[in-house]
Amino acid sequence: MVRQRIADAIGRVSVGTLVSNPLSVGFILVSLAVIAAASTFPDDGLFGPSLFPIVTSAGIIVFAAVDMLNGSGSELEVSDVDVGPPAVVFGLLVAYIVAMPVLGFWIGSMLFLGALLYYSEIRSRPLLLALSIGVPTLLFYIFGRIFLVRLPEAIVPVSRLLPQVPLVVGI
Amino acid sequence: MTVQYVVQGALNAMEPISVGLMVLGILLGILMGSIPGMTATMTIAVLLSFTFTLDPANGMMLLLGIYGGAVYAGSIPAILIRTPGTPSAAATIFDGYPLSQQGDAGRAIRVATVASFVGGFISVLALMFFSPIIADAAQNFRSPEFFALAVFGLTIIASVSGDSVTKGMVSGLLGMLVATVGIDPITGYHRFTFDLPALLTGVEFIAVMIGLFGIAEGFRKYAQGIESDRERVDQDVSGPLPSLSDLKAILPVSAGGGVLGSLIGSIPGAGGDIAAFITYNEATRWISDAVPAFGEGNVRGVAAAESGNNASTGGALIPTLTLGIPGDSVSAILIGALLVHDVNPGPGLYQDEPELLYTIFVGFLLIYVFILVFGLLGAGYWARLINIPKQFLWPIILLLCVIGAIALRGNLFDAWIMLGSGVLGYAMRLRGYPLAPMVLGLILAPIAEENLRRSLELSNGSPDIFLTSPIALVILLLSVGTVLLPAVRAVRE
Repeated sequence: MVRQRIADAIGRVSVGTLVSNPLSVGFILVSLAVIAAASTFPDDGLFGPSLFPIVTSAGIIVFAAVDMLNGSGSELEVSDVDVGPPAVVFGLLVAYIVAMPVLGFWIGSMLFLGALLYYSEIRSRPLLLALSIGVPTLLFYIFGRIFLVRLPEAIVPVSRLLPQVPLVVGI
Repeated sequence: MTVQYVVQGALNAMEPISVGLMVLGILLGILMGSIPGMTATMTIAVLLSFTFTLDPANGMMLLLGIYGGAVYAGSIPAILIRTPGTPSAAATIFDGYPLSQQGDAGRAIRVATVASFVGGFISVLALMFFSPIIADAAQNFRSPEFFALAVFGLTIIASVSGDSVTKGMVSGLLGMLVATVGIDPITGYHRFTFDLPALLTGVEFIAVMIGLFGIAEGFRKYAQGIESDRERVDQDVSGPLPSLSDLKAILPVSAGGGVLGSLIGSIPGAGGDIAAFITYNEATRWISDAVPAFGEGNVRGVAAAESGNNASTGGALIPTLTLGIPGDSVSAILIGALLVHDVNPGPGLYQDEPELLYTIFVGFLLIYVFILVFGLLGAGYWARLINIPKQFLWPIILLLCVIGAIALRGNLFDAWIMLGSGVLGYAMRLRGYPLAPMVLGLILAPIAEENLRRSLELSNGSPDIFLTSPIALVILLLSVGTVLLPAVRAVRE
């Protein structure tokens, strides 16, 4: 009976099944690529560096395939989700990280925060200015000057003009 | 010897800087926990970077303050607006919201505060009492047992997170696969590093966690429309301390919820939400003649749920600190925080870092005392936090995510890893994949891999080594059962 059910499930697989389960298909393809790559690792007996990646990839293939064949009802319809706003936020994050080596953390964060606050429907100019200047400056002091984290510096290192604070590291 | 460590831990925990960090953590936790959608996991992941330069004990004071504060404060919106601040407060709605509708919101919040304190305090006492015993027993564990434990941790969280065990397993195994990137710990071979120096030490799992819980959640909130996502609370919840009759009614159920919640929380994967539902359900069975009935505004219902979910916080730390197996996604992040400081949770921790452990224990007890005080005195203020527009918060949270990733090693590569993880996490959530198993997979992979390979080396490749160890065999059978039972049930249906 179980065998029959499995055969039925496999029989139901179609192009539509694959298209409606892009993540499962993606995970299976990545796992196959990992197995192929891991198979080229130096042969160090049975328990070399390839063992674990192959075992976990095989596991992903099995469970992703079962999930796909099962037609698990928990998958949400992506078409119901408005992916526009997350795409805008993603774009702003990419621009922020790309621009950071040029603009530095302080200026880059001000621009990023200002843009994101504006996109989040904050229209009060004093509030926009206060938050987009105040928060990055506060974080710059906490991380850059107190915790001594090496934050990306701008081509023109304007943040060095900010006044110093006494060191409080090693709390 | 233990008394000496307790005293030393108390002295450390009561240092002004430690107390200051606890208070800061609790306030941040209450702030985020009071706002629906801001989970304890996300808050800790995003704010983890603030602990990198603190010493491990002080870092843990901040993070445990956030943890306890957020789990407690999740009850406030659950009571006031029928929306849990954190998932673990979902069961608080059953009786908390009816009380609020009857004009007794302040009473419900104060009962929740006392119950949270009782549950949390009992769970930390359980942590202090049982974890040395478990760690001592685990000293006898060898590679097969540790491999079995890692598999068990992964399978159980996969089975309780989300609706689908298969999706949970895919998520967990994906985390394990990501953790194989970098230098192989046994042979030194470079795996999947693509000649990138930043990948030699592996993917920074804290960057992945920030991406999964911070960035992905941010994407989700923007997709839902944050400008419309605003609640208003105008109820006056200020008032006196809980009445003596309320205390008499809730203390026994809170104590019971504390014991049960600690037990449930200590099961890897069973977080505060499961603990709260089970303790609530048990309370309805223990007290069959409740007046008013459960679900119609009984303070004991609020107490059961709140003592249960807060008790899970200390319970979750038992497997985390004794075995290195996270009890839930928050404790997985706490393991990450300790690893940043080269502190390895596991049985050896009790021999290597007893002072740190007892500082954590006593500090966590103090945190619950502070939560009780702040909760009772500040209920009126915390209730107003729900009104904070999320339009201000999410841009700042996303900025903190980026700085948190950069602060790991001072390079932008980790920011890209974080962003990639955020996109993957968002896509996975859209498709119904739970993210907690992935984080556990990341943490458990090194334990699982090293002990699997070592076991097989010892047995010359024979899997019998897992069958001849009774403990490993039982744990592996439980793991197989955890995955197969839902499948068998599905086939039967």
